[in-house]
Amino acid sequence: MNLTYFRIELARVTRNFSSMFFVAVLPAFLYIVFGAAQSYGSTDIGNGNVSAYIMIGMAAYGAVTATVSIGGSASVEQMQGWGRQLGLTPMSDTQRVVTKAAVGLCIAIIPVTVIYIIGASTGAEATPKVWILSALAVLLGAAIFSFFGLFAGLLFRSESAVGAASGSLVILAFLGNLFFPLSGVLLDIARFTPLYGVVALARYPLTEGYLASTGAAPTEHDELWVPILNVVVWAAILVVATIWVSRRGRARQ
Amino acid sequence: MSIRGAVKQFRTGGTAFRAVDGLDLEIAQGSIVALLGPNGAGKTTTLDLVLGLTRPDAGEVAVFGDAPRRAVQRGHVSAVLQSGGLLRDLSVRETVTLIASTFEDPLPVGEAMERAGITGISKRKVSKCSGGEQQRLRFALALLPDPDLLILDEPTAGMDVSARREFWDTMRADARSGRTVIFATHYLEEADDFAQRIVMMAAGRVVADGTTAEIRARATGRRVQAYIDPAREADTLATLRALPGVTDATADAGRLDVRTSDSDAVARLLLTELGARDLEIAAGSMDDAFRMLTERTAS
Repeated sequence: MNLTYFRIELARVTRNFSSMFFVAVLPAFLYIVFGAAQSYGSTDIGNGNVSAYIMIGMAAYGAVTATVSIGGSASVEQMQGWGRQLGLTPMSDTQRVVTKAAVGLCIAIIPVTVIYIIGASTGAEATPKVWILSALAVLLGAAIFSFFGLFAGLLFRSESAVGAASGSLVILAFLGNLFFPLSGVLLDIARFTPLYGVVALARYPLTEGYLASTGAAPTEHDELWVPILNVVVWAAILVVATIWVSRRGRARQ
Repeated sequence: MSIRGAVKQFRTGGTAFRAVDGLDLEIAQGSIVALLGPNGAGKTTTLDLVLGLTRPDAGEVAVFGDAPRRAVQRGHVSAVLQSGGLLRDLSVRETVTLIASTFEDPLPVGEAMERAGITGISKRKVSKCSGGEQQRLRFALALLPDPDLLILDEPTAGMDVSARREFWDTMRADARSGRTVIFATHYLEEADDFAQRIVMMAAGRVVADGTTAEIRARATGRRVQAYIDPAREADTLATLRALPGVTDATADAGRLDVRTSDSDAVARLLLTELGARDLEIAAGSMDDAFRMLTERTAS
């Protein structure tokens, strides 16, 4: 990996205020409003409390936003001539992809770190195993969603399409049971949406499959295979779609 | 650098378009060559082939005896591309540092910036640079591997007159002996000023190839203009067209326009036997040469 390239790319993303706002500041704010500041935040739930449950969801939201926007801008800048500029250097496509992926992962770590630190200092409680496993699951989900960004960028070839893709994450996050505990038919639909699996998997160590509800006791429960199947299927769909659209783009040139 | 029988097709919708159509071209080391042609003549595609950015559908391209991509990896070839291709939110110095990091043994970043004349704006964001400044930045990037072959694809497109002159002054100052330069342009004056050899392209083929003087002479010869009696236009034109060396003769309301390789004979005849007045003789311009050669291919 090219370290200079890595360092400059990382600096480029972190000093872009608007992207850092959506990646770190907004999810942290949402956690404080819906988790830390609420009276139900300290209610026990599985291996921790409700604040931790909301914290994991918001960290996932921030991390996924980060990788979608980085993946998207990578494919857009590649098509807008930067790819030609790099084509004049010895750098290979593999080196470029590895460097970009490393940058994406580093940026995805930012919201997780920020929100977990805020969580730890505002009453989110969980066993150490929960903190570690949920963070790893969030990063895995973020890595998968970088393909969503790549796909959107390759398909629509514009910055605004990438913006729309990260914006659409709000809807996917809602359907992913991330902001608000869903129930009934909506929950049945939600189980098939792409963010559901990532979030459910990240929360599994905390609740062991029980879903938070607005009522007194948890009524819904997922076996571990449900989020895993969701994640595997959506990962396959996003990777295949990205490969398909990039082949199509190459054939046209 | 050599290209043999190169063909490159693009498909848009159902129709195939040959951007490069059986191109043969050899360029010797150390020469400065202009690739001249109207939009859509296949200049950029030809340069992309030489740079390994695209592969020919047929034919062969070799640069210093290597495949183009290999020559790029070794730092033998570099290029200033047409607009686009820079990250707008990086500073000038960051851009140079980033590209330098991909080469094994690049020029020092400071030296490349100095030679391209952008040391003064090293902290400026690319998005805040003018078109001329961005072009100098691309030039600095192209200097990093210290290439033996430097390719410039319409390097001054979109620049105003003074920025264009400054860019060429920088180029001239840098043109050390031994470096081959190929540049595409549609400014005839640039080709005339800077190149030793001009290769004209139209419809994906070479239509003329030679020194600037040769191209000019071959295409047009000279132009003789004069006024004659409108009533005798037809007779006069018939007489002139019969003369050896005359390639074209037209008249409109008594104003006669003749192209010939022997302007003396035409002038003598016009002034003595044909009763012409206000006669003018002019050397053909590069513009005329250009128009004639490219239109001839198109028709």
